Amino acid sequence: MFSNNRTGWLLLSPTIIILLIMGLVPFFYVLYVGFFKWNPLAVDPSMQFEGFGFNYRRLIFDEVFLASIWRSIKFSVVTLFFELGLGFILALSLLSSFPLKSFFRGVHTLPLVIAPIVVGSIFKLFTVQGLGPLPHLLKDYFGYTLNYGLNADQAFWMIVIMDIWHWTPFVTLTLLAGLSALPQDPYESAKIDGANNFQIFIYITIPMMVPVLIVVIFIRLMDSLKIVDEVWMLTGGGPGYATRFTGIHIWKEVFEKRFYGLGSAMSILYLYITIVICWLLYSVMVSRGKNED
Amino acid sequence: MKNLIIALVASTFSFAAMADGHAEWWKKAGAPYAGTVLQGVAENTPPGQFAGEVLAKEFEALTGIKVQLENTSWDSMYDKAIKDMEANSGIYDFVYIEQDIVYDYLNRDFLVNITQGLANNPDLQAPGVSLDDFTTFIDYFKDGSGDVFGVPMEAFIKVYLYRKDLFEAADAKAAFRAQYGYGLTPATSFDQYRDNAEFFTHYCADNGMECWGTTVQGHTGHPASTYEFLESIGPSFGLYNWGVNMDNYHSCVEDGGQLNGGRAKAALNFWTQLLPFAPPEALQSTWSEVGASFAAGRAAQGWVYGENAAWIATDAEKSAVVGNVGVMLPPTAPGVMTQAASGNGYIGYFDGGAYGIPHSSKNIEATMLWLQYVALNDHQADWAIAGGRITHKDTYADPKVLAVDEQADGYFSLMRDTGFLYAGAPPFPFHGAGRGAIDPFIYSALAGEMTPEEALDGACKALDQVMSDLGYQG
Repeated sequence: MFSNNRTGWLLLSPTIIILLIMGLVPFFYVLYVGFFKWNPLAVDPSMQFEGFGFNYRRLIFDEVFLASIWRSIKFSVVTLFFELGLGFILALSLLSSFPLKSFFRGVHTLPLVIAPIVVGSIFKLFTVQGLGPLPHLLKDYFGYTLNYGLNADQAFWMIVIMDIWHWTPFVTLTLLAGLSALPQDPYESAKIDGANNFQIFIYITIPMMVPVLIVVIFIRLMDSLKIVDEVWMLTGGGPGYATRFTGIHIWKEVFEKRFYGLGSAMSILYLYITIVICWLLYSVMVSRGKNED
Repeated sequence: MKNLIIALVASTFSFAAMADGHAEWWKKAGAPYAGTVLQGVAENTPPGQFAGEVLAKEFEALTGIKVQLENTSWDSMYDKAIKDMEANSGIYDFVYIEQDIVYDYLNRDFLVNITQGLANNPDLQAPGVSLDDFTTFIDYFKDGSGDVFGVPMEAFIKVYLYRKDLFEAADAKAAFRAQYGYGLTPATSFDQYRDNAEFFTHYCADNGMECWGTTVQGHTGHPASTYEFLESIGPSFGLYNWGVNMDNYHSCVEDGGQLNGGRAKAALNFWTQLLPFAPPEALQSTWSEVGASFAAGRAAQGWVYGENAAWIATDAEKSAVVGNVGVMLPPTAPGVMTQAASGNGYIGYFDGGAYGIPHSSKNIEATMLWLQYVALNDHQADWAIAGGRITHKDTYADPKVLAVDEQADGYFSLMRDTGFLYAGAPPFPFHGAGRGAIDPFIYSALAGEMTPEEALDGACKALDQVMSDLGYQG
């Protein structure tokens, strides 16, 4: 028994060591730094302990930080809504047969393999005023001026579109895997009972897909809450604060302004908020699933 | 590219000439370090490319020391260099120090004292290298006692460029006079600059040309826009040192600063009102895009960084306006030129950078040799032609440089004769933090989300908060 346990621990040890070094040590270091006032550009560049709540108290009243959190949540909810909707439609489409289905599935998956920073570059080249083709086309054919360097709403929605383009294939593929694995018996029973396609979708497909949906929603939610690269490349967080999501805000505070203590506290607080949002969502979805059972 | 190829060929000859003189010394000095690989990181500019593609190879051939220079984007360069020096990891043996960051690096004791290092190692002192050969730009890389911490490799002034072909077009001249009541000439005042910008925007549109009246380095999510305002537009209106009172480190008018004062607000108003006359890409333009826009013939005039001025004027492979580029000092408000001439102000940004050695470098002595090689007089003229930069006094008089100077409408002469009117960034150790506090307000003013007055009132408060947080206000 002991020998079996020892072998098990031995096999697990590389994973545990990597987890400790790459995950827990940095986390606790960030937590530790978050309790200090520390900026190497200051007159006194050393770490100064000013109480456990010093940075956190400040953040509670930091309008720019709070606004960035609200902006990130809004962005995540919006992108999640569209990605789930589109992803579901595409996954259902891919269940049926149509010409060039394999080709479409391959092309549709391509954005997934592109690095976020490259996605940002592609969209920038495509949409930048004066040089990109999209503003020209929109102006010439629809009389619409696309200038996200000037218009805050356009900047926000451009990032939303970019995220949808990038990540909908992930949602589609995951949902397609889930849909393909669903048992056929409930569908056959429903058809015998005279249910139409809409009723089957609402009362059979969706409930059976809840576990897959929970996984997709969590992964996409956590991912979109920490978006940085694409935004950095496309708008740099501007115009003004329009696309300054929390990830970008933390980057600017830590690496441009060198507020290491405050930036660490921001990271911890944002992690906490992300966990709370996910926990709330999980609780709601699980309880709804139980009620429906 | 053409300039770089010419420089490659020319430098081969000068390299041979230099090798005749002191080749033995370099071989001997480099022998203990032969096989060493020096890693460097710098901004990807034409001078940086010359250093990486020409000087590094020559140096390796002479000493056996390999130099791998990673020329990358401005943001990435800082990110890599600072993280390396903070973590003391020793990845880089030399880093690019832009003039505006040097006070931060010195404050944090990142850099090796080159003067002291050479004094302690007389065997490493290369013949033919003298720090006295540099222009006064090297002073920015000295500490209080005069010791050098960075070897300048590029220096430029931010000039006013204009399209000679447009300004000299007979129909344009006639139309301008009819519309504004005075003659069309490159701008010497802000009103004239605005009139020129407005005029050429309509003139280009009427004549089916893809060009506008002025450049604006107005990216609404990149520090480049803040820099254009604080280092070019602001000073030409008489806003110096970001409007910070250097005695008490306050920037708001009520506390003795100037960032939200009359001159600053006039400057920001002027600048933001140029946007309707700028190419559509202006609000996504950093210094690189401004250079590219002007080179593509998309602007009639503008403030353009000197590192771009020479190639825009001379490199037909990259520039559509070769032979049509005029170079002048930018317009200034009344009194600013007098203040600059007397040393009490400046009209714009003296840009540039140096290579320095981080304390974390594992090859400090070999890197000292490399930096001295960079400082040799022998290749300065070719480097100036390839990169439009001059760091040595004698380079101005070199026949090859004089020839390019003529092609570039006297850009080098202008730098030589009027460089003293320009200044580098103010000596703020908190440079990055302070600028980061101002950025969002400049972005908002450019995007029209705030009036220039609101933006500067907000910016000065944010900057004061940063200076207070960092302990500079006592």
